[in-house]
Amino acid sequence: MDALYRPEIIEPEAQQHWDEKQIFRASEDTTKPKYYCLSMFPYPSGKLHMGHVRNYTIGDVLARYHRMKGYNVLQPMGWDAFGLPAENAAIANNVAPAGWTYANIDYMRGQLKRLGLAIDWSRELATCKPDYYRWEQWLFTRLFEKGLIYKKMATVNWDPVDHTVLANEQVIDGRGWRSGALVEKRDIPMYFFRITAYAEELLSELDNLPGWPERVKTMQRNWIGKSFGVEIHFPLNERHQDDQDVLKVFTTRADTLFGVTYVAVAAEHPLAQKAAEGNPELAAFIAECKQGSVAEADMATMEKKGMDTGLKAYHPFTNEAVPIFVANYVLMGYGEGAVMAVPAHDERDFAFAKKYGLPIKPGYRSVDGL
Amino acid sequence: MKDKTFDSGEWRHWYADVGTLFDSGDFSGRTSQDAIEKIALVLKNLGLGDRRTTWRLRDWGISRQRYWGCPIPIIHCPACGDVPVPDEQLPVVLPEDVKIDIGSPIKKMPSFYETTCPKCGGKAERETDTMDTFVESSWYYARYACPDNAGAMLDERANYWLPVDQYIGGIEHAILHLLYARFFHKLMRDVGLVSSNEPFANLLTQGMVIADTYYRDAGGDQNSGKKQWINPADVEVVDGVSVLKADGKPVQVGGTEKMSKSKNNGVDPQALIDQYGADTARLFMMFAAPPEQSLEWSDAGVEGANRFLRRLWKAVYEHVEAGACAAYTSGELPAPTRDFRRQLHQTIAKVSDDIERRKQFNTAIAAIMELMNAMAKLDAADPATRAVKQEALEAVVLMLAPIVPHICRSLIKALKPGACLVGSPWPVADEAALTRDEIELMLQVNGKLRGKLRVAVDATQDAIEQAALASPEVLRFMEGKPARKVVVVPGRLVNVVV
Repeated sequence: MDALYRPEIIEPEAQQHWDEKQIFRASEDTTKPKYYCLSMFPYPSGKLHMGHVRNYTIGDVLARYHRMKGYNVLQPMGWDAFGLPAENAAIANNVAPAGWTYANIDYMRGQLKRLGLAIDWSRELATCKPDYYRWEQWLFTRLFEKGLIYKKMATVNWDPVDHTVLANEQVIDGRGWRSGALVEKRDIPMYFFRITAYAEELLSELDNLPGWPERVKTMQRNWIGKSFGVEIHFPLNERHQDDQDVLKVFTTRADTLFGVTYVAVAAEHPLAQKAAEGNPELAAFIAECKQGSVAEADMATMEKKGMDTGLKAYHPFTNEAVPIFVANYVLMGYGEGAVMAVPAHDERDFAFAKKYGLPIKPGYRSVDGL
Repeated sequence: MKDKTFDSGEWRHWYADVGTLFDSGDFSGRTSQDAIEKIALVLKNLGLGDRRTTWRLRDWGISRQRYWGCPIPIIHCPACGDVPVPDEQLPVVLPEDVKIDIGSPIKKMPSFYETTCPKCGGKAERETDTMDTFVESSWYYARYACPDNAGAMLDERANYWLPVDQYIGGIEHAILHLLYARFFHKLMRDVGLVSSNEPFANLLTQGMVIADTYYRDAGGDQNSGKKQWINPADVEVVDGVSVLKADGKPVQVGGTEKMSKSKNNGVDPQALIDQYGADTARLFMMFAAPPEQSLEWSDAGVEGANRFLRRLWKAVYEHVEAGACAAYTSGELPAPTRDFRRQLHQTIAKVSDDIERRKQFNTAIAAIMELMNAMAKLDAADPATRAVKQEALEAVVLMLAPIVPHICRSLIKALKPGACLVGSPWPVADEAALTRDEIELMLQVNGKLRGKLRVAVDATQDAIEQAALASPEVLRFMEGKPARKVVVVPGRLVNVVV
């Protein structure tokens, strides 16, 4: 044995041996317990970064450990190969996104092999290859026929520099995450996966995942956000027996109903549109609201603005008239696109009422404040 | 009691608490929860509302106006509307030989979008939007089971391998990617492709890799607020001051942050591997922090990992050079060797538990390092002790094999010619070695510590008393006086009172 530790000699030797003998090739074997160990596949950005090395080392340790413990182990690797950076690189370097992507994959595959990962490379896949995405297209057509994919006009975050729709989480402080451009709202036809049809199961099955960190499960629960509440109809006419028109709101705090001093609707709400006819000031405000992000995080931090429509809604119990405001913090896509406002018991409504001189009317005391 | 008088001049957080209603018509006096139920009921009777469940979750819009994505397989026909592309016309292949400027090239490519309607045969156009790339990453884990299947999305092999037993990735994917993948699993289940309900049985979210940041004020102007970020690889510490290697002049030290391009504090893993090898990189990564916590980059940590591997190599080399021997199986051992062997098997038990159940690799490595230190102190060279050292080195190499596989492959071959690393089983702790047959008791005379006494674990009170009274330390401090009383605290001490 060599007296000196020389990784530059023993490492390539070991890797070549594992590669040539296909030591980590996995096949189904019902005589052993199976262990499928998967690290999130990389985006072929150009070269590995330290986060990749950490991720794949952890996975490799677990894969190799379980192999020694007698499990039939599968550890595959592939490439999350579609996406925006390839297009940007293509523009910057005047190359085609495909060529850029495949060159990066070749380089990064070499880097991964140099880490000595116990990967079954015979299963390598790249999502930009037709033999992969054809099945995604196949499933799409099935789901379209089942009604689990549908088309509708949707207000989206439009990045005027990248010419693309941004997901809510790609909008940071009202600007595109990559371009930094002020985001606009646009209505375009889009295809939607009906994930809400699975909301109940996506929520309840979290309870059957003891092997997931509590923190991640909490984040998923909050994202799915099941809440119980009350839908309340505010008649739009004092004598609602004659006129069936109502303004629908949803609230988790129906107990504060007697503290309502105004209601607020989204800029896209039909009532706002109706009020804007013949009210250029209101029309201009509505147009302003349509700029900017539809992301909830931005909703929380942006300046709350509103304008009185001049229309009234009537309290379902007291028949008292309350003003209907258009407010930039109300989203058409959430609930009914309208909310009841209780300045005495909601911080946002409180600030809004102060700003626009609306009444603040407490309707209950907290338990220990009796 | 706190003063909780409502003051409309200033917001206080308790205003949003639940409580007891007043000025609320028939509902005054009720608690919030009670009032919600009753109000919902009355509204329902009035036809002005009802109880309802709502969800924060929205449907997932997947159309993207980008080029580099999976084409949406829909044909727009003026007569038939949206028609899905029939199976025999799949895949809709994205042209790869394109030039990119502003906007997606396939939107300007009639050869891509001009087509005929699969239903009526009339002129029609393909959809030119592509799918959100989150769609591809929502099912790749299943395709790995059967990537070669050209006739179906998934086959029975998917049910053999799924669910994934251990999924590992960044916390930044805690919501969207994981939610979409769970959703896709259920979609695939409901079209009959998989039989399980969830894709990932166990999830490990690894922490970030962070590093120090260094900068200089750009253009020498401190007030511009612009910083020129300097890579940690270009900085060295001289006499406690961080300086730029290139000019030897000081740089500003920023905080420790996630490695990123914007702060120029990324360390290239390739340079690390080129300099020290993959095993050093792997050992450093696994030793520097528990997997779920942030890992702070440190040159000293990397050097420490490399030094340990060189020590390990040397230990095996010296052991092997002293002559081949077989691993210990049975026989009498000198006491220190027996203690060391107990530590070896305690280490095997601990490392197994740390890796498999706790997933705390750093403490597993620390235990192995301690074991190596203990072995270095074991200077006996009798055949039995050498056999125990052989046993220990074999076990250490096998326990480190998942972490540093290359060096371990060489070392196991040196220790056991002909051995194959990846075919070797994980070492098993020897229960017999774990049980102590002797314990050490404190020896006191008149309550003062005077020495230690080794006795058999199952020694009787009488035997312990006699051994204590016969020990040289006790005899010396009794100074010839008779013992009035001997107190034995089992497992801890013996006190001789004179």
